[in-house]
Amino acid sequence: MSITGVRTDQPGQAVLLTGNEAVARGALEAGVGFASSYPGSPTAEVLSILGRLAAEFNLYAEWSINEIVALEGAAAASFAGVRALAVMKPDGLNVAADFLTTLSMSGTGSGLVIFVGDDPHAHSSIKEEDSRYLARLAHVPVLEPATVAEAKEMVKAAFELSETLQHPVIVRGVTRICHASGKVTLGELPPRKKKPFFGKDQRFLTDPGAVAIYHQRQEEKLRRAAEMGEEMPFNRYEGPAGAELLVIGCGPAFLYAREAVEILGLTDRAGLLKLGLTWPLPEKLVLGRLRSAKKVIFAEEIEPVLEENVISLAARHWPAVGKLSFYGKSSGHVAGPGGPGIGELNVDIMVKALAAVAGLPVPEPAAPELIAGEGAASPAQGPPPFAPVPVIDRELAFCPGCPHRASFWAVRAALELDGRHGFVTGDIGCYTLGLGRTGYYLLRTAHCMGASVGVASGLSKLARLGFSQPVVAMIGDSTFFHAAVPALIDARYNQARFLCVVLDNGTTAMTGHQPHPGMGVNAMGEKVPAVAIEEVVAGLGIPFTIQDPYDIKTTTRVVYDLLQQNRLHVLVLRRECALVAARKTKKARVYVDQERCLGDACGCMRFCSRVFSCPACIWDAGAGKARIDETICTGCGVCAANCPQQAIIVEGVE
Amino acid sequence: MLPEQGGPVELKALVQNQNRCTACGACAALCPYIYAVREKVAVIYPCGLAEGNCYRVCPRTPTDLGELDRRVFGAPRTDHVLGEHSAIYFSRARDSEIGARAQYGGTVTALLAFLLQQGRIDAALAVRGNGAALPEPAVAATAEDLLACAGSKYSACPSLSALPQAVREGRRRLAVVGRPCQVTALRKMQGLAQEQQFSRLPAAKLDLFVIGLFCFWALTPGFYGFLAEKAGPEEIWKVDIPVEGLKITFTSGKELLVPVDEARPFIRPACPECFDPTAELADVSVGSTEYDPAWNTLVVRTAAGRALVEEARAAGVIELRPYPEERLPILRRAAFNKKLRVLNTQTGDGYLRLSGEYREQLLRQGGNNG
Repeated sequence: MSITGVRTDQPGQAVLLTGNEAVARGALEAGVGFASSYPGSPTAEVLSILGRLAAEFNLYAEWSINEIVALEGAAAASFAGVRALAVMKPDGLNVAADFLTTLSMSGTGSGLVIFVGDDPHAHSSIKEEDSRYLARLAHVPVLEPATVAEAKEMVKAAFELSETLQHPVIVRGVTRICHASGKVTLGELPPRKKKPFFGKDQRFLTDPGAVAIYHQRQEEKLRRAAEMGEEMPFNRYEGPAGAELLVIGCGPAFLYAREAVEILGLTDRAGLLKLGLTWPLPEKLVLGRLRSAKKVIFAEEIEPVLEENVISLAARHWPAVGKLSFYGKSSGHVAGPGGPGIGELNVDIMVKALAAVAGLPVPEPAAPELIAGEGAASPAQGPPPFAPVPVIDRELAFCPGCPHRASFWAVRAALELDGRHGFVTGDIGCYTLGLGRTGYYLLRTAHCMGASVGVASGLSKLARLGFSQPVVAMIGDSTFFHAAVPALIDARYNQARFLCVVLDNGTTAMTGHQPHPGMGVNAMGEKVPAVAIEEVVAGLGIPFTIQDPYDIKTTTRVVYDLLQQNRLHVLVLRRECALVAARKTKKARVYVDQERCLGDACGCMRFCSRVFSCPACIWDAGAGKARIDETICTGCGVCAANCPQQAIIVEGVE
Repeated sequence: MLPEQGGPVELKALVQNQNRCTACGACAALCPYIYAVREKVAVIYPCGLAEGNCYRVCPRTPTDLGELDRRVFGAPRTDHVLGEHSAIYFSRARDSEIGARAQYGGTVTALLAFLLQQGRIDAALAVRGNGAALPEPAVAATAEDLLACAGSKYSACPSLSALPQAVREGRRRLAVVGRPCQVTALRKMQGLAQEQQFSRLPAAKLDLFVIGLFCFWALTPGFYGFLAEKAGPEEIWKVDIPVEGLKITFTSGKELLVPVDEARPFIRPACPECFDPTAELADVSVGSTEYDPAWNTLVVRTAAGRALVEEARAAGVIELRPYPEERLPILRRAAFNKKLRVLNTQTGDGYLRLSGEYREQLLRQGGNNG
């Protein structure tokens, strides 16, 4: 991450930035004064950067409790004349949706931009949601950058568009924009901002008595946005005039399509229409290209938003555009291995799709180019034969020393001991891994932020209908603040009886250790009073217990005892994230006494490496014994408690 | 029908899930896949083995009593009602502090204290608590630790699960105090360790002296809720179940006598299957006299037990009295009746493996007695 590139005040200079950095830079060049976010991949770094630069650029940045609060805060700044940026992932836009759909009715003041990072293929998400449908539902324009450089320019343009329309504007990035790096030419950084003021004539209202007027206003703003889109530099056509084969694309998918056109030698035949403003459509621009086209193929990731809108546009103009064939997700032509609309696109997928549409054979992929290095053959001898490097397939697992592993083992043990077919409802965070082998298959439900609590609560309320299984909700600390509190209030009010386990590792670990209210520090690095989880729980009038999960045996007993109580209780399993702890503490040495470890003669069936599954517990096939990978071991020593031969030795615990 | 061999699947399905687990804690002492918490023992994760020592050491899986006798005493038993023994006494501790803390005569605490003081054991595996709340296993290494374990507990603490703790702490010479089911499990474990050379078992790593407790049944943890209800605002100091009923003594000095039938619903479901009320496989067994609360019944069984009792008496640690002639038939009748109930109710899926001769001898000796 290059924060230097983001802050450099040398207009015209080219720097290498990630997409997230480019978004931050774009916001700074637009004179942003307020930035808010709840961390979510792939956009989490945007606010981290703005937080670090807050003092220097005289802006306010916050990690909000959740996305709706983030958006409300950003809107407030906009109302008071401050340009504001709210950053989230599609899941967060869902959380913010109720406000967003009314904000687009009330309108905004100074520019308000929402940067949303969609995650095709769900590299680090629970789903691959296309936020553009929600944008359309909310009557909000969407801009989609195809490159990192364009991301910066688009954010700037989005602020202008928003301010012109007095309307929120969404910039939709995808993971391969956010996390990719690209050359960005720096622009001017504006002077200091004026003082915020909520003018005495300003009103940002929705009005149940005048819904039609507000709705008309929304539609009018979208019409104006579409008109402005006709002239936007982000929308452009490349290729021969009057091309019969037309590619319409947006985001990185457009670049894949362009490369595919080159690979297939179609540059003379195929036209490329790149759209930056994908909603509302710049209809004249699109219609102009549809008139000459016979075949239209779409390059966009996740849902066929552009595709459906263009087809609908064409349908309204049949007499003008004539007979057209459309190829994309609906037709099944643009499809990765998972099927149309599923997973990311790439050049190969677009080559295959375009070849099929153009009636060309799919070319053989070129042999990979090798980079000459040590041991490489000399140019005279030609490149050395390509030998694939064997990469061991590894399943998702908790990090070495992760306290969640101990928590999950203890909860599993307690539920089995309890013996009433109790189970766990899951939530969103590192601990979602509780659904798989390395989380001992513990999760039986997994949905969205906070759902563990509401679902557990609902299940326990079935007691009146004869439901008697114990239910445990497992939720992280940051997620607790984000979404658990209303469900807990409901649980107390409606007499739910379940155990809510808060896995408190003292940070928002999943997205890269962003601060949350429990940590005593804010996005700008300032020390603030921490909000303790137990204070919140006590305030709700719900009894709670705090326990260190590293002590597996005690934790098992505590969970078991709480299950016997059959009542609403919050158990905070508190132990710092192992990745954070590893940075500051001197670690204990953990090793396997090779005399005591009996290997396969033990009968434990390689418990430590096979079942407990800490990545640092490994099986030494040569010696036929367990070993600790001391390079990655954090020294937590939790594995030692379970070894039936007491063969795992922990030395020098502080 | 209980298979002769089995693993965690059978242990879980046929013992734990059938309420036949005595909560001895032996399987949990062997295995990272089995946990014992409070008085519940459960396989918490499938290890994948078809057969395992968890099944072999369980006192409720197939148990050949004749073979266990031969293993512990080197010969078939002569007494089929009370088990092999060389002497029966009334006994009590001479130490007044032990006497004050003890349930009856304080014999167990006195013997353990003697062993510790003589440096013959590194620790005692016992159970901590005052009988009013769930007891916890304790690896007691000092006289003070031992006193915290004095007094009877009426529920089934899975204290054998703490054997690995003793191993980990390097307390190799260990006296174990256990209920009869726990003594059986320990003897099974020792048998596996000696005969199958399973050096990995805790029993193979520990030098054990075994003190068995008389036990006609244990109560489930639900009993403690019942006690708390009976106590109300009073603090319980001690619980006792003498012949006349359930006696609760409060710290205020007040006493409450509850008919024992009120406690019966809490009898652990595994206990009516028990064939061994006097811990016949221990080195020595200790119980109440049901006659004089200042004394214990002490059954001397093995040579090691004999030696310890003699030395403890010589050292003035315990005081012995001949077992009253007229009391012996009462004890024998009680033990025999329990065995007879099990014999009469044992169905095809029972855990006992008794030879025809064993059975015949038992019925003959018990019948003579009655």
